[in-house]
Amino acid sequence: MKWFGALLIVFTLTWLGYEWSKKLEQRPQLIRVLKSSLQILEAEIVYSQASIMEACHNISQQIPSPVSGFFRQVAQQLKHEPISLYDIWDKETDRFCHSVFLSSEEKEIMKQFGRTLGQHDIVQQQKYIQLALTHLDRKLKEAEDMNYRYGKMVKSLGLLAGLFLAILLL
Amino acid sequence: MENILNLLPETISSEIRQAMKNKRFQPQEIRLRMNQPVELNDGTNIIWLFKTRLTQSEALLFLNRISEYSMYRLEEELRQGYITISGGHRIGISGEVIVENGSVKAIKHVSSFNIRLATDMVGFTKPYLSYIYDSSLKNSLIIGPPQSGKTTFLRDIARYLSGGGVFKRTFKTAIVDERSEICASVNGVPQHHFHSRVDVMDKCPKSEGMMMLVRSMSPEVIIVDEIGSEKDVQALMETIHAGVCIICTVHGRDLEEVKQRPALLPLFRANVFDRFFVLSNQKKAGDVTDILDQHGRTILKQRVNSL
Repeated sequence: MKWFGALLIVFTLTWLGYEWSKKLEQRPQLIRVLKSSLQILEAEIVYSQASIMEACHNISQQIPSPVSGFFRQVAQQLKHEPISLYDIWDKETDRFCHSVFLSSEEKEIMKQFGRTLGQHDIVQQQKYIQLALTHLDRKLKEAEDMNYRYGKMVKSLGLLAGLFLAILLL
Repeated sequence: MENILNLLPETISSEIRQAMKNKRFQPQEIRLRMNQPVELNDGTNIIWLFKTRLTQSEALLFLNRISEYSMYRLEEELRQGYITISGGHRIGISGEVIVENGSVKAIKHVSSFNIRLATDMVGFTKPYLSYIYDSSLKNSLIIGPPQSGKTTFLRDIARYLSGGGVFKRTFKTAIVDERSEICASVNGVPQHHFHSRVDVMDKCPKSEGMMMLVRSMSPEVIIVDEIGSEKDVQALMETIHAGVCIICTVHGRDLEEVKQRPALLPLFRANVFDRFFVLSNQKKAGDVTDILDQHGRTILKQRVNSL
């Protein structure tokens, strides 16, 4: 029974460490996808002058999940209950960031960007997209750094902490 | 009507709905002004709705809805001062203007909206068709003040010319629809009902559109709305001398007044028009008060009252 409990502790903590490292790995990937979706958005706005709804719909078909889900939601909500774009964007950003591992800074960047979306002429809009992209770039670097530095460590830390606790309790 | 009310802020649209129901009022225009009561008018009567007033944020929301939350798509429209929405309704705007290099770049703070509801009256030009076509098509100019039904007249004529079953033959009809008012096209396809022989150049500048159509679509008649600038007149002359019949409209009270407009002088000097239709907004939209031939003599035999 004792041994079983010890094993359980080791297993759980290893698994936690593994999960944590997966999150660290996920974050730069997500930021990369967000960046490419903003780039698609820019092309849709500048070259084809598509409406935000069309653009979001097109983006959702071109990028992988879960970011595609976010854009699909925005497009659908705009279609069905047109309140204001910013309210929808805000709500969906909250929901999206809640479901994936993104820091509050990324969330803030997206929200700030949403406030400018669709409110300016093409030149201005393009500038705002570029600004958001620069911010995301910075965050991407940070996230990559974090992953590089702590990714492997966290995994082994989980295992070691598990072992430590198990030995301590035995 | 319904798609305009859906665009309007809820408080305003519900009041308009109520007013229309209570008073059996069919407005031609809905006018919204910042911090002022809503005005509904049908050309002669005005109804004021005092319950709600347009606020800054509502105006912004309205603009956002018109543009489908994508203001960058209204760049050209904000420069021109009007927006055409689906259904062919036109929303005129005024407010604070941004000027760049001496010309208007955009309207920034919009303070007034004038929503002109597109009316489609089918068949009311039938009594006048014999003036436009007898043995040959006549170049016609339709003269009228605002809200006299010029565009509606033009649309109805286009319907008959392109195959309305009144003439012995039909004509290849081309329409240059700079403001999407005649056909109310969405993605280039006319939303108003037309017959089969209509080709539309949507959102195209009139002067260029006329020449493009002459070159590409070999039309027999070209229909254009609101001739005004020198460029339009020049293109019109080119088109008429290319053997294509023209039917167009111009702002003005009567022929004499229109003849005074400097930009239009070359047209009258060259005597290009065979028929002048004078419309009035006194009684009802689409009221033809006079029809003149190329020498300016009245040839309208009897005024048509039934609309």
